[in-house]
Amino acid sequence: MTEYDYDELGLVAGLEIHQQLDTATKLFCSCPTELREPEESVRSFERYLHPTKSELGEIDEAALEESQVERVFEYLAYDSTCLVEEDDEPPARVDAEALSVVLEIAQLMDMTPVDVAHVMRKLVVDGSNTSGFQRSMEIATDGEIETSEGAVRVADLMLEEESAQRVEEREDGVTYSLDRLGIPLVEIGTKPDISSPEQAREAAERIGMLLRSTGHVKRGLGTIRQDVNISIAEGARVEVKGVQSLDDIDDIVRNEVGRQVALLDVKDRLGERDATVGEPVDVTETFADTDSGVVRGALDSGGEVWAVRLEGFDGIVGEEIQPDRRLGTELSDHAKRHGAGGIFHTDELPAYGVTEEEVVALREAVDAGEGDAVAMVAADVDVAEAAVEAAADRATVALEGVPEETRGANDDGTTRYLRPLPGAARMYPETDVPPVHLDPSDVDEPELLTAKVGRYQDEYGLDAGVAEQVAYGAYMPLFESLVDDDGVDATLAATTLESTLTALRRDDVPTDELTDAHLRDAIALVDAGDVPNEGLEDLLTALARNPGWSAEQAVEEEDLGGVAEDEVREAVVEVVERNGDQVDEQGMGAFSALMGECMGALRGKADGDLVSEVLREEIQARA
Amino acid sequence: MNPGDRVRVDRADQTYEGVLLPSSDAEQLVVKLDGGYNVGVTREDADVDVLESGVYDIEGDEPDEGESSTIEFDEDLPTISLISTGGTIASTVDYRTGAVTAQFDAEDVLRAVPDLAGRANYRGRVVANILSENMDPGIWQELAHAVHEEIENGADGVVVMHGTDTMQYSASALAFMLDTPVPVVFTGSQRSADRPSSDNVMNAVCAVEAAKSDCAEVLLCMHASESDDDCALHRGTRVRKNHTSRRDAFETVGAAPLGVVDYDAAADEDPDAVTFRREHQARDGVDLDIEPALASDVELVKFTPGMDPAFLEYCEGKDGLVVEGTGLGHVHTDLIPTLASHVDDGTTVVMTSQCLEGRVCDRVYDTGRDLLDAGVVEGEDILPGTAKVKLMWVLANRDDPAAAMGADLAGEIQERSVPWE
Repeated sequence: MTEYDYDELGLVAGLEIHQQLDTATKLFCSCPTELREPEESVRSFERYLHPTKSELGEIDEAALEESQVERVFEYLAYDSTCLVEEDDEPPARVDAEALSVVLEIAQLMDMTPVDVAHVMRKLVVDGSNTSGFQRSMEIATDGEIETSEGAVRVADLMLEEESAQRVEEREDGVTYSLDRLGIPLVEIGTKPDISSPEQAREAAERIGMLLRSTGHVKRGLGTIRQDVNISIAEGARVEVKGVQSLDDIDDIVRNEVGRQVALLDVKDRLGERDATVGEPVDVTETFADTDSGVVRGALDSGGEVWAVRLEGFDGIVGEEIQPDRRLGTELSDHAKRHGAGGIFHTDELPAYGVTEEEVVALREAVDAGEGDAVAMVAADVDVAEAAVEAAADRATVALEGVPEETRGANDDGTTRYLRPLPGAARMYPETDVPPVHLDPSDVDEPELLTAKVGRYQDEYGLDAGVAEQVAYGAYMPLFESLVDDDGVDATLAATTLESTLTALRRDDVPTDELTDAHLRDAIALVDAGDVPNEGLEDLLTALARNPGWSAEQAVEEEDLGGVAEDEVREAVVEVVERNGDQVDEQGMGAFSALMGECMGALRGKADGDLVSEVLREEIQARA
Repeated sequence: MNPGDRVRVDRADQTYEGVLLPSSDAEQLVVKLDGGYNVGVTREDADVDVLESGVYDIEGDEPDEGESSTIEFDEDLPTISLISTGGTIASTVDYRTGAVTAQFDAEDVLRAVPDLAGRANYRGRVVANILSENMDPGIWQELAHAVHEEIENGADGVVVMHGTDTMQYSASALAFMLDTPVPVVFTGSQRSADRPSSDNVMNAVCAVEAAKSDCAEVLLCMHASESDDDCALHRGTRVRKNHTSRRDAFETVGAAPLGVVDYDAAADEDPDAVTFRREHQARDGVDLDIEPALASDVELVKFTPGMDPAFLEYCEGKDGLVVEGTGLGHVHTDLIPTLASHVDDGTTVVMTSQCLEGRVCDRVYDTGRDLLDAGVVEGEDILPGTAKVKLMWVLANRDDPAAAMGADLAGEIQERSVPWE
């Protein structure tokens, strides 16, 4: 990857981070913040949304694009959701636990809470909120976090409700799942103080660490979403949505800078060539006898082929502007937004079954000369023309440089076009929820994860690696509760929650099924000596495979309870007698071989130390 | 410093810049920040600088008058009168109280519900602009007159937009007061019109379709389920709001709803969108007439265990008293003499049941027989609220109130109790 002089390019970036909170109940009702499988749904219903002009005021371009078609939204409800999620009951007051967590976060980022938080409705008409709006409130402003390249100011901290999960998209609508709707979500927005890819990643890591220090944030895929705003001096503001992994943030920034640099270069060269974009032309006739699969398919189902002359674009449409993504890909992204499968362009043709002769005829049909390129779309009637027009519009923008837009993060660190930048959100007060007077004085400052790592070593005697694993791991709150509240041995708790579970996961044990209660009870049983250390893996495996069981039940069902000393002795005596000759010959030298046999005879149910002690005694007794 | 000014508010080491909004509470200033969020700042700690006066019109969402009334008359379409009385269906945010209040007239509703266009020629009329808990019998009478006048002036159907809290009472009142040759359809919404998920669009569209139908009765048209699929058409005298917040809060008691409007079909202007399950008064079956008189001195009292007898004693001298009794229609035996003395005084006392489902029968137990001996009238299977409205109307319009209470006047009594699902 090319490295740029980011200072010289004038890179400016900011982060917007959304993190789900792990609270007992949702933000505006008493339902659990628990995710479900669509198959577990017990009820479903269908709704329409009717955004009216008077609500939208100056209609937002992005909202308009979403609302143009009357779409029916299906919602899946569960035994863990209620009428509030269904928009059939007014919201309850703001959840107190969520407020207290968010005030902790404000404190960690050195922010000033507002005196009175007002719940707002942010218009969302894609169906992801049953109400047609997302409830959100500004909690605190003006903070900052440290990075090695300087402070990054934190502009805003918002507490809002998570949207419903999209389950399925159909032609006439979308199915959403209500389990996620209403889970408390914090949104943290930084000022555009970030000036390098590394700093972007570091700032995101720092914010993530601060959030996790509260011990009240959700963990796992989809529970944190990172958006990055990126621009360079001559470029434009681009909002990259949905960066799933922290590790991708620096690559996303690098690639977007690269894209903007490439687009500016394209602009300069197009300018030198006096490039322009023509009008869309129906070229269906040109392909009447084509053997190209894609084009043939479209024509056979009654579709059309439309094309547009890109004057002076020859060779440029096929140029890479991100790894493996060309200017043509950008045109194609826009065509896809209008329902087409994509575009073909002359920089890549002949290919895909389109012949040399057809390319010549295509050029002729749109009057394209040397130095010109042609983009074409084969699709249904109406779609083909609109799609090629969208591609042409994007080509026109290339003459001016970098467009402001919202892009989606791809897994490989590149981005794709999503939609125009949203306008300022249209917000109005949520009159169903009274404003909340915030009282930051009774909020404790949580211990940072960085501090925990040190304390775990000093207080609990964990080694540095394990201490860090536990502190940054998903089980940190459970670990602390086990050790501090239940008095469980810290090393036992730490190794079980980190290494044992990791090992089981590698053996394909479904450890995701293990609840905190499973883990807590299993570890406590071992700590109390009711189950030998050696039985813990079996116990956890049994629970993971039978999540309906309690730990006690699993011990019973799988016969994992510890074995008393007389039973151990009985088994050991049997082994020693069976191997009497060996013992007589080797004395204590037979110990290792017999130890394994004893453990096997006891099927791991007995404590190893006890077995070894008894075996030693029995060998000596025989000597 | 006035609402609508652009201000900078300094409080301790914190500065907020934005537009000052009206505040519902004297303790705090409410500032709309540039991102769109409102935040409250404690007034006594705040230092306010006005940066620019009046940059924002607080009442600013009023549409231009000019673009509103260009609705063309189409001779092929029926004429439907839209009568507004206020309520959630026609409401928007009130900054002063922070609550939802009614501020629309019928034309605004047309603007707010563009889906109504092309289904009928509309005439808009505002009778009241109140939340329905503030409704009173005087407004029922005004409303009846307005509906009468609209029909007299050629309306082919009337839609009354009404708050949902007391819609069933107003619908009952009109059912007793009016003989109507056209449908009179009440509708409202359970979710305010200022949200994209409001049920107002579907309810209004379905109500207009019902008003164009062949059923010349006073109906109530609201969601049939929590889905946006069907609206139920309930008889005004048999319907009850049975849920505080759900879209399908209204239920016909003791039977399936009289009819159904299929919203998808209605949206496509399918003539079969409206269907009925049972016999109903046909369009033009009666001549238009109005008997608006009401006796106002009528109470509805619910009996509960441990009730202070003084509540019943207080009703001495009333024109009418509806009792919502227990079970088949009972009150504590000790209260019967009080009721007997009211009857002797000339008060018409009617017994209904808090069971809601089923018929009053005071001939089964001694308590009931004693109530009958005391002169209490059995209210059949009339809903208690409907019974109150009926008694108000009967006392002012019929010579033998007791006999009239036992007769079906507007579909409020079902002659046969037929099991239903």
